[in-house]
Parts: sequence; C-alpha cells; structure tokens
Amino acid sequence: MQMEDRIQGEVLLVKPLEERIDASMAGEFEARMIGWIRTGNRRLVLDLSGVFFIDSSGLGAIASALKTLGDQGRIAICGVSKTVKNLFQITRLDQLFVMCSSAEEAVEILNDWTEEDHGKEGRQSD
Amino acid sequence: MEKKGDKAIKLTIESRLENVFLVGLAVKGICGHIRLSSEETYNMELCVVEAINNAIEHAYSSRPGHDVELTVRLDPNQIRFQVCDKGKSLTALRLQTPEIDATHGRGLYIIHTLMDEVTYHTSQGTNTLTMIKHWG
Repeated sequence: MQMEDRIQGEVLLVKPLEERIDASMAGEFEARMIGWIRTGNRRLVLDLSGVFFIDSSGLGAIASALKTLGDQGRIAICGVSKTVKNLFQITRLDQLFVMCSSAEEAVEILNDWTEEDHGKEGRQSD
Repeated sequence: MEKKGDKAIKLTIESRLENVFLVGLAVKGICGHIRLSSEETYNMELCVVEAINNAIEHAYSSRPGHDVELTVRLDPNQIRFQVCDKGKSLTALRLQTPEIDATHGRGLYIIHTLMDEVTYHTSQGTNTLTMIKHWG
C-alpha cells in the first residue's frame, strides 16, 4: 500500500496514495498507522483526498489507530469526499475525529492542540 | 421473483479479498446506467463489497478456493443484489448499532442502513443475502 508521510511541526501528515482502502489492504493500512503511533507520533492528520472508496474494514483500521492512540493524542481527518463523509456520519465515526476540510487546516488545529483539549470530542471545522 | 423484462447479470469470484473490488467496479458501472445518484451508486457498491467481504471472511473463514456469487437484477423500480456462498451460515443478521469506536462489525450495520430490504436465508447448503434498493 502506497502512503506518503511528512512531519509538519508537531504533526505527522499521512496521505494514502490508493484510491480504495478496502478489506484487502486494511490490515496493512492499520499496521502502518499503528506503527507511526508507536514510534511516538501523537498528532496525526489523515488526508483522504485521494481515496474514493473506503469500506468498513478501512474504517475499522482508522478506529483501531485511534484506540491505540487513546487519549495521548489526536487524529484529524481531511479531504473526504461527500460519499466518504456520509459513511463517517452513518457510522458516527465523525464524532471521534477532528474532521477538517483541508490538510492545512487540520495541521494547524493539531499543532495548536494541547492536552487540556482532552474531552473535546468530535470538533467539526467545516 | 423473476419477471419478464427483468435484466440480470451473474458474477462469480474466488473467495479472495483481492478480487472484491472487481465486483465493486461492475456494480458501480451498472448503477451508473440507472437513475441512481453518485452517492447512491457509491452506497450500492459499498453494500455489495461488505456482503462479499462477509462471505469471504465469515462463511469461508478467509480461505481461498471457494466461489462467491453475485446476482444483480434490475427491475423498473428497484435493483436487487443477491450474494451467495456455500460456507458457514450466519446465525443472525446483526441489527444492533456497533459501538462507536468498534474496530470490526460495521458491515451488516452499513448494509441495513443503506438498503431498503435485507434478508438472509440458507437453502440446500447455499447462503443467500438479498439486498434491495427501491426508487421512484
């Protein structure tokens, strides 16, 4: 699975370069996300602007990354298409992540995030 | 029930997750030719993919070498998908809402949420999940 990653301040920006995140690659996707968290990344932006299809396995991988992170950090998601956004809403996962309209906005929000922000779940910024 | 004038196609894949996107693309193509919006088309593709994933992962315990069959039937006012396998049967269609932070178990919930009718039955060793979307 092709993914791009780069550090911006305190934030790790991750961008899958696959059009689909489905059950055939969810395991690898999850392992990569958890690997970044276990190596100390606490503020992650997941840029889904290149992803046109995601199924429940892909959602489960993202949820698993969040569980691994626990309350030690935050994950922001940006670049979701209308259809993928609808899926996040149906499954209520949009309530667990910082949902942003752009990578720049997501990076800015997470760079400003402090541990005192714990408990402010589901910030919507679009 | 099959009616004169219905249009139908049957697709079969081997039980490997790497094959599922091919069925998804076929469903997307079919839905693109009927009066479904791009969002509804995505939802139909998603439901079929979820149903086939379930057949592979649960009915066949992720073992390759088995057939998963999809039948798509177009009626004037609905589209019907039937996913068939000959593996382990589901004991029940899980209707409960999954935990918000669950890492598994959203597939059937998504299907129930997005489809108008969902039924499951087993007959002579074949499990069939039927999903119907109406319009008009």
